[in-house]
Amino acid sequence: MAKKTISIRIDGELVNAVEGQSILEAARASNKTIPTLCFLEGLSSVGACRLCMVEVSGVDRMLPACTTPVQDGMSVTTTSPKLARYRRITIELLLVERNHVCAVCVSNGHCELQSMATSLGVTNVRFAYNYPKLPVDLSHPRFVLDHNRCILCTRCVRVCAELEGAHVWDLTNRGIHARIISDLNQKWGEAKSCTNCGKCVQACPTGALAEKGKAIEEMVKSTENISTIMRRRGVEA
Amino acid sequence: MPRIEDIGAFNNVRELGLAKLVPSVPRIAIGMGTCGRGNGAEGIYHAFAEMIERSGVDVYLTSVGCFGACHQEPLVNVRVPGNPLVMLRQVQANDAGRILHDLQAGNITHDLVYCKIEDWDHITTNIRYGHAYPEIPAWSDIPFFKGQRKIVLRNCGLINPDDIEEYIAVGGYQALYKALIDGRPEGILEQLKASKLRGRGGAGYLTGNKWEFLSKAKSDQKYIICNADEGDPGAYMNRNEIESDPHSLIEGMIIGGYVMGATEGIIYVRAEYPLAVHRLNRAIAQAREYGILGENILGRGFKFNLQLVEGAGAFVCGEETALIASLEGQAGRPRPRPPFPAQHGLWGKPSNINNVETWYNVAPIVLKGPAWFTETGSAKSSGTKVFSLVGKVRNTGLVEMPLGTPLKTFIYDIGEGGAVGRAIKSVQTGGPSGGCIPQEMFDTAVDYESLAQLGSIMGSGGMVVMDEDNCMVDVARYFIEFTNSESCGKCVPCRVGLNKSLRILNRITTGAGTTRHLDILDELSRYVRDCSLCGLGQTAPNPVLTMVRHFRQEFEDHIVSRRCQAGVCAELALSPCENSCPLHMNIPRFLQLYKENRLEEAFESIIMDNPLPCSTGRVCQHPCDKRCRRQTMDDSVNMREVHRYIADNILLSDKFEPMAERIAGRKLEPTGRKIAIVGAGPTGLTAAFYLALLGHDVTVYDHMPEAGGMLRFALPEYRLPKAVLRREIELIEHLGVKFVFNSRIGFDLPLNELDDRFDSVFIAIGTWKESWVYLPGTELKGVYPALPFLEQVSKKAPVQLGRRVAVIGGGNAAIDSARTALRAGSEVTVVYRRERKDMPAIEEETASAEEEGAKIMFLAAPHRIIGDAKGNVRAIEIEKTKLGEYDSSGRRKPVPTGEILRFECDSVILAVGETVDLDFAKASGLQIRDGGRIEVNRFSLETSRPKFFAGGDVVTGASNVSNAMAYGKQAARAIDEQLMDAKRWDNLFRTVEYEQRPPDCPSDSRRHKPHELSAQSRVGSEEEVVLGLTPEEALDEACRCLRCDVKVVSVR
Repeated sequence: MAKKTISIRIDGELVNAVEGQSILEAARASNKTIPTLCFLEGLSSVGACRLCMVEVSGVDRMLPACTTPVQDGMSVTTTSPKLARYRRITIELLLVERNHVCAVCVSNGHCELQSMATSLGVTNVRFAYNYPKLPVDLSHPRFVLDHNRCILCTRCVRVCAELEGAHVWDLTNRGIHARIISDLNQKWGEAKSCTNCGKCVQACPTGALAEKGKAIEEMVKSTENISTIMRRRGVEA
Repeated sequence: MPRIEDIGAFNNVRELGLAKLVPSVPRIAIGMGTCGRGNGAEGIYHAFAEMIERSGVDVYLTSVGCFGACHQEPLVNVRVPGNPLVMLRQVQANDAGRILHDLQAGNITHDLVYCKIEDWDHITTNIRYGHAYPEIPAWSDIPFFKGQRKIVLRNCGLINPDDIEEYIAVGGYQALYKALIDGRPEGILEQLKASKLRGRGGAGYLTGNKWEFLSKAKSDQKYIICNADEGDPGAYMNRNEIESDPHSLIEGMIIGGYVMGATEGIIYVRAEYPLAVHRLNRAIAQAREYGILGENILGRGFKFNLQLVEGAGAFVCGEETALIASLEGQAGRPRPRPPFPAQHGLWGKPSNINNVETWYNVAPIVLKGPAWFTETGSAKSSGTKVFSLVGKVRNTGLVEMPLGTPLKTFIYDIGEGGAVGRAIKSVQTGGPSGGCIPQEMFDTAVDYESLAQLGSIMGSGGMVVMDEDNCMVDVARYFIEFTNSESCGKCVPCRVGLNKSLRILNRITTGAGTTRHLDILDELSRYVRDCSLCGLGQTAPNPVLTMVRHFRQEFEDHIVSRRCQAGVCAELALSPCENSCPLHMNIPRFLQLYKENRLEEAFESIIMDNPLPCSTGRVCQHPCDKRCRRQTMDDSVNMREVHRYIADNILLSDKFEPMAERIAGRKLEPTGRKIAIVGAGPTGLTAAFYLALLGHDVTVYDHMPEAGGMLRFALPEYRLPKAVLRREIELIEHLGVKFVFNSRIGFDLPLNELDDRFDSVFIAIGTWKESWVYLPGTELKGVYPALPFLEQVSKKAPVQLGRRVAVIGGGNAAIDSARTALRAGSEVTVVYRRERKDMPAIEEETASAEEEGAKIMFLAAPHRIIGDAKGNVRAIEIEKTKLGEYDSSGRRKPVPTGEILRFECDSVILAVGETVDLDFAKASGLQIRDGGRIEVNRFSLETSRPKFFAGGDVVTGASNVSNAMAYGKQAARAIDEQLMDAKRWDNLFRTVEYEQRPPDCPSDSRRHKPHELSAQSRVGSEEEVVLGLTPEEALDEACRCLRCDVKVVSVR
């Protein structure tokens, strides 16, 4: 059954959207940018990073573009002073939460968090750094998991469960102590379910998951491959 | 018991239940909710059971749930057949014998009686217990229950929760039966919609609409879920409801299943509620056994199953999508909505989730109809809501009130005000998702919209009352600590934002906060509220947002002056006594130094904190007494008397001269700055002392011919001998302070002249203007305002007092006037409009006045003064008052009763308060606040005119000596900082080494009271009444101190 086409307004401009699409999908389809971090095209949306918050007229609170379905006649605002302020706080909070030291990071220059900070104009942070003591898991022969650089976007969790079907990754603990774990909190190298496919590494927006042997600035991710496979799958199914 | 399949069987069960509820033998029912058990109800039950078995008497013993009055637990209700049900309160196991004995004789144990119930409206039916015992108050006449409307709690505390027959006896399962017989689920849906019942979990969504979504959803399987994951700190109504009446929940859910077309119900209840889980399991088993759950319910062909799932206690699982995840065996993390559970819920099937209390309202609505339901409550919020009223309130417990009831009814009528007579500061509603409502806003109606307007929420119904002992910053920190640790960690605002807020609040409560923190906190809180994924994060900043909005001053105190008025934030206070002292005297230090036989150093410690130690040792209000931790053992340490003893032993002895030299030796290098202080009262003298020590050139002006202010002219000789005060002033003179008398600011001392001649001016004048009550007859001869009266007496000027004197007022001035009049040989009656405990006067002074023969009439206000033909006072008419509502001071307002008493007297002294004469300040560039006080910056004491500072009574209105001196100290520090542009304050103080260990064995004697002249010998004389402690007593008193200031103890 063909999905109904509806029209919505994004930042005043009338655009076409398909029923069931999220605001984010509709916006991207019409070449509009809404900043995201936890979203990866092809994977399910979880609404975790809250960067994609937008204002919808008639709704008194802000809504995440990635999980809010479009509705006919909806009018969406993607940039406003308030949204800019809030997006900035989100980046600042992510930067102070763990130990993001770009100068020594494999992903320096290819990091989504870094480029998002740059594009949103985050040149300094106003909050004190948390400096948590976090481990680095080097047990896997080919890959590294560095919790210091993780932003808990759960893209690795989703790509592993939804594309690879292995579901190696999940979250443990609550709140500020939440952490990515493999299997039932085994070391990655000992996780029986891991197929060593490396999709999680490619999906990771920062240097938290990286290939061994890569030095500073050398780790370039290809998230587009994941989206392409998923897109093709969607057509097949 | 066979399954109930027809109305005959149903009625049979009902009869069986009634025989247990109103048996033909005496019945004893023990309140066995968690609250009752916590207070020993099980022991009471066993005591009764054993005694009944041993004596073989024919008494029916059973257990019931909780009746809501938690502060009176354990409750036991007893009934003699044909008579009302009588509730006994605070029963102990050893009361069992006499209760049983009395009951056998057809009597009630009167000393334990709480109230009686003659008939009870179970909503679903009426139970008539009988009419008797006119002397026992009906339950609805007890303040705690007055105005309560028990719909949800209709059966709680009256029926045995473990017995389905008793539930059926009070009309239970009738609504279900009716619904099944009518066979029109859509009719019930209409009824529910018309009732405007709103979700009782807190969000207040219309239940009827929610049900309609699910009933319209098409699916082979639907689920209905009861959310009994009650996790708010201070809220326990759902626990009590389930524990006391589990069948009402089951009935509500079966009806819900029938209406929405669901055959599976799930109750998600916290594992921390073992008794509720136990009773619910038993109730489900019984319902199954009686054919009320399972296949072919009540023989009407409907099928419904109910199962119970225990939650592991994550707060976030109260959020519906997290709850569903938890039911599915996943970690309790919320997911974004849409899709809503009504489309995509448990196992992907359409589901409906309602709070426990919502389900409890279903059966009454089905049976009595929506019109009946909307009679109760307000227009937009119909029905009642159960609240758990806890915290610093006298009566705690579960309160069910119509929605829309004003908050003050809860606090002051039902709760009967503060727990230990302290003023209530605020109420926290809605737990960690709610906000704090300050006392000024207690007129607010409690319903969904009104609370939301104040930034709070109704939530599940927790109401935590806080008084002046609660630090609002700490409360905000506590709630953020809670939500921070309960955040699931999925979305950034809640995970990191709350953590950041917590870290900032931690800094503020430990004295490391900055004013910038407040702005960051505010912005962060708004961000978390607006951006979080689920309800937990969206509401978690509410406590902070409301506290910063309503209690900003407290935050500023923590940040700017590093003080926690409530004494909660440990890092900001040395010890409770130090924190309560307006001058922040290091009390443990001087006590310890004295214990170590270092009298001079003890005195130096005292005088550097408090430049008028002998005077304050005699007349201070000693707030430290109320805070001393020793009073949890016996009585507080008599710190003021030890302080006085030490001060007297130096200042009033030959050690004065060397000590004066020693203090003068502490003076810093002369700065060459000239400072004028206007007012030589306690504020001015204190400021002069410190400013002189800081090296400034200080001149003090006063309109009186001598220094001392109120201490000199308002305090009678017998309380503070003039010679003592003189000595203290000599010490200040010794530091080089100059005094100029008989010059009044604005008249002899134009402000501009002061401005020209001095670098800074500190205005510290007192409240010399008597406030006047508008009372007929005040113009008569023989009516005196208290202050001029005391002033005249202290100047030894003649005052014509009559034989009988009436003193109006209850403050220190009133008591001083009364005692002064007694010394003039008059008969004195003090007339005060409130109760004894509300008197602002120092307790000991009031007691002394009474010993000396003064009579005190409480709850009496002056009506008019009657004169004779010559214009002299002949009599005063007094109107009796009674206690009305609570005012902002936490005291109950006196309300006139209209009853007039006449009282013959020759003189009337009016001591109803004093104000500042601010005539000089007009057009002076000094901003005046309404109420006639000078406006200053709270921290720097700067006025609106540059170079001019003000402090003491001129800023606060009439206060007391230590508060006034605190202003002097604060002003000295601020003026020096501004003049010198440097922080030099700490240079004045030297560190002293002394024992930093709590005493191994503090003295075990009780508080030493100072010696006094006997009442007979003192009335006739001017001599000082309180003589102080002996050296042995002073030492022993110092040894009573527990040394709360020592925080780290090394283990040897």
